Amino acid sequence: MTAHRKDTARPAEPILALDDLGVVFTTESAQVPAVRGVSLEVRPGETLALVGESGSGKSTVALAAMGLLPGNARVTGRAAVAGTDIVGADEAGLSRLRGRTVSMVFQEPATALDPLTRIGKQITEVIRNHHDVSAREAAARAVDLLRRVGIPEPERRAAAYPFQLSGGQRQRVVIAMAIANDPALLIADEPTTALDVTVQAEILDLLRRLAAETGTGVLLVTHNMGVVADFADRVAVMYQGRLVESGTVEDVLLRPTHDYTRRLLAAVPRLEVALPDDGAAANALTKPVPGTRTTEPPREKGRTPAAQEGTPVLALDDVSVVFGRGRRAVRALDGVSFLVRPGETLGLVGESGSGKSTAARVALGLITPNAGTVSLFGTDLAHSRARARRRLRAGIGVVLQDPVASLDARMTVGECVAEPLRVHRRELSARDRRGLVEDVLERVRLPRALARRAPGELSGGQRQRVSLARALVLEPRLLVADEPTSALDVSVQESVLEVITELQDELGFACLFVSHDLAVVQHFARRVAVLRGGRIEEQGPTGETLLHPETDYTRRLLAAAPVPDPVVQRARRTERLAALAAGRTEGGA
Amino acid sequence: MSTPSFLIRRVLQALAVVVIVTIVVFGLLHALPGGPARGILGPQATAQQIARFNHEQGLDKPLPVQYLYYLNQLLHGDLGTSYTLNAPVSRLIEERLPKTLVLTVLSALIGLLLAIPLGMWQAVRRNRPVDYVITTLSFIAYSTPVYFLGLILVLVFSQVLPWFPSQAPQGDSLADVFSEPRALVLPVVAGAASMVAVFSRYMRAATLENLSEDYVRTARAGGARSRAVLRKHVFRNSLTPVVAMLGYYVPVLFGGALVVEQLFNYPGMGLLFWSAAQASDYPVLLGCVLVIALATVVGTLLADIVQRVIDPRVKAGRA
Repeated sequence: MTAHRKDTARPAEPILALDDLGVVFTTESAQVPAVRGVSLEVRPGETLALVGESGSGKSTVALAAMGLLPGNARVTGRAAVAGTDIVGADEAGLSRLRGRTVSMVFQEPATALDPLTRIGKQITEVIRNHHDVSAREAAARAVDLLRRVGIPEPERRAAAYPFQLSGGQRQRVVIAMAIANDPALLIADEPTTALDVTVQAEILDLLRRLAAETGTGVLLVTHNMGVVADFADRVAVMYQGRLVESGTVEDVLLRPTHDYTRRLLAAVPRLEVALPDDGAAANALTKPVPGTRTTEPPREKGRTPAAQEGTPVLALDDVSVVFGRGRRAVRALDGVSFLVRPGETLGLVGESGSGKSTAARVALGLITPNAGTVSLFGTDLAHSRARARRRLRAGIGVVLQDPVASLDARMTVGECVAEPLRVHRRELSARDRRGLVEDVLERVRLPRALARRAPGELSGGQRQRVSLARALVLEPRLLVADEPTSALDVSVQESVLEVITELQDELGFACLFVSHDLAVVQHFARRVAVLRGGRIEEQGPTGETLLHPETDYTRRLLAAAPVPDPVVQRARRTERLAALAAGRTEGGA
Repeated sequence: MSTPSFLIRRVLQALAVVVIVTIVVFGLLHALPGGPARGILGPQATAQQIARFNHEQGLDKPLPVQYLYYLNQLLHGDLGTSYTLNAPVSRLIEERLPKTLVLTVLSALIGLLLAIPLGMWQAVRRNRPVDYVITTLSFIAYSTPVYFLGLILVLVFSQVLPWFPSQAPQGDSLADVFSEPRALVLPVVAGAASMVAVFSRYMRAATLENLSEDYVRTARAGGARSRAVLRKHVFRNSLTPVVAMLGYYVPVLFGGALVVEQLFNYPGMGLLFWSAAQASDYPVLLGCVLVIALATVVGTLLADIVQRVIDPRVKAGRA
């Protein structure tokens, strides 16, 4: 396999060359062009990041380079992998290339592996697709690969099924499959999007190390500019199926020339970080890119101190939640206490499984805690009658993560927004209700006429604003927002967050804002609570807690979040790896 | 859940189901108008004779008392004695059940062996002529009543083309059934037809769903050909929902046997049940229903166990 490596490692020859690539999808109603005239090259040992928002065609390019597009795609132009054109190749030719010369890492580690086949066997399959080796030898190589991608106890783990592994470990297995035959080109399609930041950092480190060891060229498809800054040598920006700008990572991220690239970068929320050793880098980071919003959220200025006082709208005191019973019991929340004061925004941050969504559900009264008290607007939820609880709940609005699933597809937008009115304000006439619905749609900057449309006809950002309108139609005193923008593109995220901020100034509701995105919370929340494994790690004003954290965990969390500046990110990475190495030697000593 | 505790729980559940089934059936049978006496003693019987028969059989006692008597008998392994055939119900079932099992198990096996590859083939060739043709045939096979299909089979393959006998071999032992294997062909085909139709649909749907899963793309990205992906990954994943359905299909199989045995004069449980129903032979009817209920419960239990073997997530309580 090393011979194979040397063949392709001549620096001059690109391992992937796309020339005027075009992809058109035939749907029932129309011909939809997804990729138009894309030309790019990836050379051995370099990483090209293909960036853009959803629908820009970046994943289609990646699949086209693998010959994995669905049957309704028509491909024109040329896509050559190690000199072989993929576009006209038959199945036999493609399967000889796939997994050997070019391989792929996918976005969703939860579904990318066959749930019924042991992971070792899935890796050996890739090896034996291309090499005539015995099952035993392939199994030994699979164990080696698992060790290389950092799976502990690889001999034992090879016999595990995918469901027995964590998301990060599954992604390592997918990577092991991808590098099993030392490919010359690795295509990674959003390889870390489904993972927590700390796991993301580990996976990126792993990919970088593997690429450096073998001189593999990498095509990295991502929407995350922090990941780009962390990993890429060159960047190509896609917009509506076309390549609008490409260049070195420093050029594109720091000195973008195309208007779209500038807008895209401006919309990325930037994590403000304190770098004690490197003040210059920190300054470079906080220096606003043209069009970036200032680091101080504007709404903080108008807020009077009086708005912060009075009875907290929400208070959790020593709340514990246990799911399941006996040996399988999971402590989702363990002695959690926090307050949300009138008009203020509290950010709840943490990794998956930290209990942040459970905390939001407790606040909504959807989960009754096993211990502790929850007070809503000064009333203890456990000691109030059902009817009173219902009245209290009318004072909370909620926006959830998934813009598709959170609106009933069989109702019109108007009916969706009117539903809380039907429940809590039954005295209203149909006409008054309609009037209120149209008013609130206008408030979230949607046209009144949208009330008669179906949610399915709306874009993701519009749908999230409909959810927001539904949450605000009862003029709540508390808005609970659980990852409200995580499924949205950055530019859309920015506009949705702006709407929430403006309305909060206008209507004065408090907000419990749950997010895994530290940069968003830093810009949006006044105070922040960091959750880890069901406990509050620390809480305090956002400016202090996220700039000068007191606990190691928060420091690690912050260090793992990549910032969209290649120069700063490189310094941060070096520092993080140094800290990790130091921690390891300390732990070993 | 560990396997022993899973089994204990499921067996207890199964027992509860069987008891409930006997209560329901007992109640329904005794709610029927007429009662067995008139049927057995004939239209000439006097009211006195009927009253005496009812008294002898305990039929004049309150229903719950009758049920408790029955249950007590049952616990002693006694299913009662047939009113009309003058033989213990347990012996009747002992004689007939193996023959019905031969018929249903053969039908089910042949049905599945055809349905599974057919469904996968359809999924791979979805929306092509082959798929449409098989789909049409499936719907015809599924919507044709078994007795009608059986009659056509007899007409074509027994009368017009004298290939197979239209009547099953008679006799008390299992060996008698196998003495003329050709006579089994038409009953088995009649029983298998709807099985093929139903399960090829399930298999087609399951395969289609799995073909669009991410892991298929991962396998192809690793250099596997389409056929290998089908064989190594899609097949097993598609089989799990089909196996689950199989357990619930047991009563349908027995229901089919009822008609098929009537039609081909095949001396199994179905025929026994048929004649007992016509004669209001309560002990026989109850015995048959009990056996079918047991078979259903055992069928679903087996299906669950097979699923635990195929899919490790079931055992871990993750699916």
